[in-house]
Amino acid sequence: MNPIAWLAEPFAHPFLVRAMAAGALVAALCATLGVFVVQRGLSYIGDGLAHATFGGIALGLLVGVSTENMIWAALPFTVLVAFGITKVLRRGTLGGDVATGVLSSASFALGVILMGLRPADAPPVNVETVLFGSLLAVSPQDLWVVGAVAAVAGGLVIANWGRLAYLTFDPELAALSGVNVRVFDYLLLSLTAAVIVVAVKTVGVALVSSFMIIPAAAARMLGSSFGRVALIAIVLGVVGSQIGLFLSYHLNVASGATIILTLGALFGAAWPLRRRG
Amino acid sequence: MTGPAPGAPGAAGAAFTRPDPSREAVLEARGVTVEFDGRRVLDDVSFWVPKGEFVCLCGPNGAGKSTFLKAALGLVSPTRGSVLVLGAATHKAPAGRVGYVPQRKADAARFPAAVVDLIVANLRGSWPLHVGARDRQRARDALARVHGEHLLDRPLSRLSGGEAQRVFLARALVTEPVLLILDEPTAGVDASGRAEFLDLLAALAASDELAAVLVTHNLAAVARCAERIVYLDAGRLVAWGLPGELLGRGSLSALAHAPSARAMPDEE
Repeated sequence: MNPIAWLAEPFAHPFLVRAMAAGALVAALCATLGVFVVQRGLSYIGDGLAHATFGGIALGLLVGVSTENMIWAALPFTVLVAFGITKVLRRGTLGGDVATGVLSSASFALGVILMGLRPADAPPVNVETVLFGSLLAVSPQDLWVVGAVAAVAGGLVIANWGRLAYLTFDPELAALSGVNVRVFDYLLLSLTAAVIVVAVKTVGVALVSSFMIIPAAAARMLGSSFGRVALIAIVLGVVGSQIGLFLSYHLNVASGATIILTLGALFGAAWPLRRRG
Repeated sequence: MTGPAPGAPGAAGAAFTRPDPSREAVLEARGVTVEFDGRRVLDDVSFWVPKGEFVCLCGPNGAGKSTFLKAALGLVSPTRGSVLVLGAATHKAPAGRVGYVPQRKADAARFPAAVVDLIVANLRGSWPLHVGARDRQRARDALARVHGEHLLDRPLSRLSGGEAQRVFLARALVTEPVLLILDEPTAGVDASGRAEFLDLLAALAASDELAAVLVTHNLAAVARCAERIVYLDAGRLVAWGLPGELLGRGSLSALAHAPSARAMPDEE
């Protein structure tokens, strides 16, 4: 096969074009918020909230929400868990990692129990799809949801960039400069929860935190300012998602896992280029 | 406005000299009591700082110094009493009226930013994506006051402890505050950095530009900068007077009882 045809082949499939669009949007969103959470030492909040999402999905399915609409049950549940983590974090008695660990594992366990309580005649649910995602199964409706979340979350982050960045540098100094730290703490973790719910739909519970951590961590090694770190993280996330999808198509392997491995390779490539000091 | 009547505020040490009441009060603590979970951390603390006066706030660990600073900065609300800046409650004071130099923040070195970003963030109340020529000049001017113009574009990760504290002092000064609050700014800084920083504080104290409250365990800093000393112990104001009156009694720690003496180490 000639190289041009080989490169163009995936674009002949509408499902793959949708996957690429959704992958790019989710990667950009996760990378943007990942820059904040990684810098604040909350790297595993992505993993924790993704596990909490499973609890929300299970609750939704138990009360009769369809698998197509389970995202709408997961969203408020995960935002509530994010509020709980923020509250514990702000009290300062326990670290953010402890709050994340307790609330997310409890939510996941609740999800497992709720799944088991579903009536025997309820429509079957593929738990593996929930856990590992199905980027290639993104429907046009899913793409609209991802686009809407991207527009709202992206708009809020851009509009409040300076205050969120100041808060990330140091909450105490930000408060003394007039930033309402409480409001922006809750805003940041609520946006993170919303983006993770959407990301779970595309890359799955098990892999979502990699989407959040790896581009941000790689960019942290390369960028000289917080703004540049965010820009580099977005580029790495989007490029990694597109290369990963492309490879998964041609190698006929799982899309989510291939994207994460591609992001890992990009992190490895960034390592020798890291800034010193 | 002028200061409160002498002797009106609180507690101990009637023999100590209070500020001249005809001077304008910049910071005024009126019977400040702070309790956390039923535990009293500050107990009816009253004193005031006139314009241009450099006050050292001393006392052993656990005396309530940091809690008082937080109340003065508006980060903690007193259970009773109030802290006023130019007659208004601190939390209502416009951002920038009170400059704050924290203890050395090791985490700051991990944030990808240059010195100019940190200073301009305090000017704008928002972390800058881009710094224009005007803000850049204001940051440079603030750094010039701490002899640090050459640090303007240096990454925060490449500052020594002493340089970092000078940068935080420039950050506090850039908004032209009426009151400067410094929380053990030389703790964890090496000897040369500490000496440079004390030179800057001594010059600020001599200039009478602004009122300042310095929390320190460093007796060298007290000796060089203090125009008046406030001594807290176990949440209560034990003494409030001139350095000669307090230091002349042997040492600050002798003001309080034995436990205070153990917890008042001189860093040098």
